[in-house]
Amino acid sequence: MKSEAALAVSYLRRTGHGDLYIGAPGGGMSRVHLADDDAKARFVTALLKAKCEPGEELELFGEPVAALAGPARARLRRRIAALSPIVGLITNLNVWENVSLAAAYHGTPPLEGVAAMAGDVLSAFGYEARPFLARLPDGLAPLEAKLAELIRLLAAAPELAVVDALQDGLSGAERPRAALFESELRARLPQATLLFVDSKEEDS
Amino acid sequence: MLQSLREIEGGVRLSLAFAARLGQLRRAPVLDSFLRQVYFTGVTASTGVVLRASALGVLIIAITMDVLDADVDLAVKILLLVVFREIGPLAAAVVVILRSGTAMSAEMAMMRVSGQTRALRYLGIDLYDYLVVPRVAAAMLATLVLTVYVQCLAVLGGLALSPFIINASFTELTGRLFELFTPVDFFYSTVKAVLFGFAIAACCCYHGLNPPEVTQNAVPKVVTRAVTQSAMLVLTINAVFAYVVFGILFFGLVTAKV
Repeated sequence: MKSEAALAVSYLRRTGHGDLYIGAPGGGMSRVHLADDDAKARFVTALLKAKCEPGEELELFGEPVAALAGPARARLRRRIAALSPIVGLITNLNVWENVSLAAAYHGTPPLEGVAAMAGDVLSAFGYEARPFLARLPDGLAPLEAKLAELIRLLAAAPELAVVDALQDGLSGAERPRAALFESELRARLPQATLLFVDSKEEDS
Repeated sequence: MLQSLREIEGGVRLSLAFAARLGQLRRAPVLDSFLRQVYFTGVTASTGVVLRASALGVLIIAITMDVLDADVDLAVKILLLVVFREIGPLAAAVVVILRSGTAMSAEMAMMRVSGQTRALRYLGIDLYDYLVVPRVAAAMLATLVLTVYVQCLAVLGGLALSPFIINASFTELTGRLFELFTPVDFFYSTVKAVLFGFAIAACCCYHGLNPPEVTQNAVPKVVTRAVTQSAMLVLTINAVFAYVVFGILFFGLVTAKV
């Protein structure tokens, strides 16, 4: 796999049926359709862990991850965030606690900024911030849960935002509203690389 | 055998990690989690269950005094040696195991099975910092406070009940209690209560984070293991502590003469 500095993601997986290569240019928006859920889970997990399994090669922001030491890998991970079933909400925390957990734990960004951003995003989707943020994840509809995850992702302000299976589990009425996620992401993370990932199994 | 060794190793690692990360309590979400756990383990337990545990202490005093035909001295010694030093910490530990140990292990096993611990890792949040440290620290504090609470209620109950069983007034018994009470009684039960809290929470956290399989079926297994092993740990600590403090420290090595 050739290293291309302009690529935010360069992923190669060798399988018995041939090679799977995914490349995403830095700062742009890419859509990746994978053959099945297993391939999708492997790809998203490799990105989130900044680590590749045997048979995989991964470069993030032009840096091969295979030989990275622990701290360097952790630094790289901090530049990536995902809206994915793999990174679901914590069920015993309300939406605000879920959204602000990482910011409160790491001490950055300031919670006031997160609260303001959450209010803006929620109002764009027609929700009142205070009651929505006080709800527990188990009481959220699929789109609402994804919205909470979107706010959490935006709060992390990543350089690489992975949106995994956005339409999965949504009703026919919710799907058009999910399209708004893309514009919110683009507007609030203008410099970031956006990677929308889904599988053909979901589409069918 | 191998599994037992693994569990001991895991428990020791978890304990060392807890000691090394105690400073993480300064972080806001960790402190929130700590306060929440103190509330669930300590405050909510302080009404029904602990009152019943204290009543059990009073009952034991009443029966023992009646059976032994106790005088003032013996009555107060029973209160101090049995109720204050032994029953208080043990009753608090039983309450913590039954109410919080079960909840802690089930909650963590559920988080592990449903992938929520993985989500925390991807958010850059250390599981020890966020899940283990606040729970263990809170269980230590809550067990200590519950122990003092049970001790006070049981001893007061015993003092109030004793005049009906033996020929002594409440004032006489109280006066004798203060004469016989030594700082050792206090430190002995305090240190033991803190150790009980630590052992219970560390054991439950360890099992919660290490289920035998990553399926829903593992949750009841985790809870059973956590509760059984916490109870065994508490009894072992109690026995070792009693032997070390009263066997070696005060009387030298205890030997049996036939």
